[in-house]
Amino acid sequence: MFPGIDGFHWTATHVVFLSLFFAIVVTILTTVVSAVWRTTRDFRTSRAIELCWKSDFAELPESDRRCRHELAGRVISRTCDNAFDCRHCARYSQFAVLPATGLATDLGLNYPDDRLYHRGHTWVKPVEDGPFTIGLDELADHLIGNPDSIKMPVVGTELEINQTAWRMSKNGNEIQVRAPIEGTVVSVGGPKEGWFLKIRPRLDPRDPTTLRHLLRGPEVHGWLSRELERLQLQLRAPNTPAALADGGVLMPGLMDAVPGADWNTVLADTFLEA
Amino acid sequence: MASAVVTNSRLADQKWIARGEERTSLSRFLLWLSPWAVVLAVGIYAAGLCLYYGLNQTNMDNRFAFGLWIFLDLGIIALGAGAFFTGFLVYILKRAELRPILNTAVVVGFICYSGAVAILMIDVGQPLRAWFTFWHPNTHSMLTEVTFCISCYLLVLSLEYIPILLRNRQLRKLPSFLVFEHQLHKLVPVLAGVGTLLSFFHQGSLGGLYGVLRGRPFAFREGFFIWPSTFFLFILSAIASGPSFLMLVTATVEKVTGKCLVPPDLFRRLGFISGILLAIYVAAKSIDTLIWLNITSPSVGFAPWQYYMHKPFGTPILFAEIVLLGLLPAFLLTYRKTAARRGWLLSAAALACAGILLNRFVLTVQTLAVPTLPFDEFLQYTPSWQEVASFGGVIAYGVIVYSLSYRYLPLFAAPKGENTHVSGD
Repeated sequence: MFPGIDGFHWTATHVVFLSLFFAIVVTILTTVVSAVWRTTRDFRTSRAIELCWKSDFAELPESDRRCRHELAGRVISRTCDNAFDCRHCARYSQFAVLPATGLATDLGLNYPDDRLYHRGHTWVKPVEDGPFTIGLDELADHLIGNPDSIKMPVVGTELEINQTAWRMSKNGNEIQVRAPIEGTVVSVGGPKEGWFLKIRPRLDPRDPTTLRHLLRGPEVHGWLSRELERLQLQLRAPNTPAALADGGVLMPGLMDAVPGADWNTVLADTFLEA
Repeated sequence: MASAVVTNSRLADQKWIARGEERTSLSRFLLWLSPWAVVLAVGIYAAGLCLYYGLNQTNMDNRFAFGLWIFLDLGIIALGAGAFFTGFLVYILKRAELRPILNTAVVVGFICYSGAVAILMIDVGQPLRAWFTFWHPNTHSMLTEVTFCISCYLLVLSLEYIPILLRNRQLRKLPSFLVFEHQLHKLVPVLAGVGTLLSFFHQGSLGGLYGVLRGRPFAFREGFFIWPSTFFLFILSAIASGPSFLMLVTATVEKVTGKCLVPPDLFRRLGFISGILLAIYVAAKSIDTLIWLNITSPSVGFAPWQYYMHKPFGTPILFAEIVLLGLLPAFLLTYRKTAARRGWLLSAAALACAGILLNRFVLTVQTLAVPTLPFDEFLQYTPSWQEVASFGGVIAYGVIVYSLSYRYLPLFAAPKGENTHVSGD
């Protein structure tokens, strides 16, 4: 194999064959080392979180990847291919100017207009010159009820957008709630306080694109009605066909009320897990 | 896998199954695996006997040094060529329409090559000295090239398999796994290129191995430079049968699960690629056979009829190899009307795979069985139960690994694209 090993001769055949072989081995090893090095580099920067989110996003069912403009009725059908990052969507402005055509029926849930909503069922309440308040929206709150445990980030934690902001567990199910914006945690609350985090945003809050990725106005209604429809289908009794809505409203503490449902799937869909 | 019936209710291993994927219940799945696990267990026991007591557990001897195991190796390495060839088409030639079948091609390739290497480790008799071939290589032997290339290519396939493995629903929850998977996946085109180079040479060298046997006129061939014609015929036949085998595997999974896993048009494309390559192979094989029968063999003192006077190796085998399992499937795979019908397409793919297996069988067994010296006799070889059990063990290993991969990994992930319809359009 190597010069000096019994059987090796300095002939063209030996040199060409072994050079080719070692070139291939070096290429394979370089590929692996390169992948490991790039992975380490991504973790040193915040790119790892972005990659994880984009990968998770790609695994979401198409029904969960609808564009906000479709939710608002501005377009008939559009699948988001930008990981819900409207801040960098080249076509955002093109559709945003179109009139919203969604119907605003009462869905029985309180989604105040002074807040902006993330698809992972969190809300952001912007405050001028102050930290933004982050909370769990009412659908998620009704779903979980009182969580068995909560693991919040410590004050000072730097959160990236779509990173797991806090974790909860309920009836043996682990729930990871995604951060709706990037920034530094300045205060930690909980269900009793009605909010979970106060975050000092990293980006300029006066820049109109900073919160552009969050849902607002007619988009919220369109999104919520689809979420309720999904829940209704997922929580129906086994082996029963889909039925027309009966006009009822979502009751609090659903996870306790319907313990036999496939909560693994429901929670994954609700909190945008792959 | 056990049944076409799928269920919406919660599965015991639901957390490990990709979102939105429906699988049969865990108990049915385990029921499906259990007979294969028994076959695998018997195979491992038989292999253990061979490793512990030596190759006297087999019916091979100095004359019949290649038997069932080498036939298995050659067969599954040829059928596993779909992995490198699909990678070559997708990453090098940019045939994106074949992407839906890429993951399953990698898994099939990994199973074929790891199975072949496992059986080779038993076949060498002293596996603890397997490293000798790397440390003291005989650079004049085709087998050295085969050993080097297969070892390297198995490493490449393992690296290609890792990103698929890391996409499992639970494994992907570890951010380091997910990011590594992403980065490794980005480098897969490099691995696909290396895999193509390695496969080209080891598929060829496996054929060349027979072609250089001057003492075995049934296999000996002239060729180009240092490569006998069998070198090129093996490459051609492997890349012709690989896509057909992928079609068969996918169609079997579709039948068992009752799902449509790949776009219907994909089968026709794979069939056409396979058919064209098979037609080229059949033409080359026919020319090679004519040259061998009329020039090469008589020049070393053998008349063609001498090879075919020993039953069951008569001329019908040659006819079956070239016409029935070569020309016919090539026609069926490429002719528009038959290729449009799934039944014909899959039957043709099965014939093509059978033809390549027959070719490997003939070259392995008939080559050694036919007498070459005046005092020599026609030899018969029947594998021992240990050989058969090890053979079965590799097949069972393949079924189990594929079944687990199908259940827990995204083998047939559908491509996702943008689709916009503006209001008022």
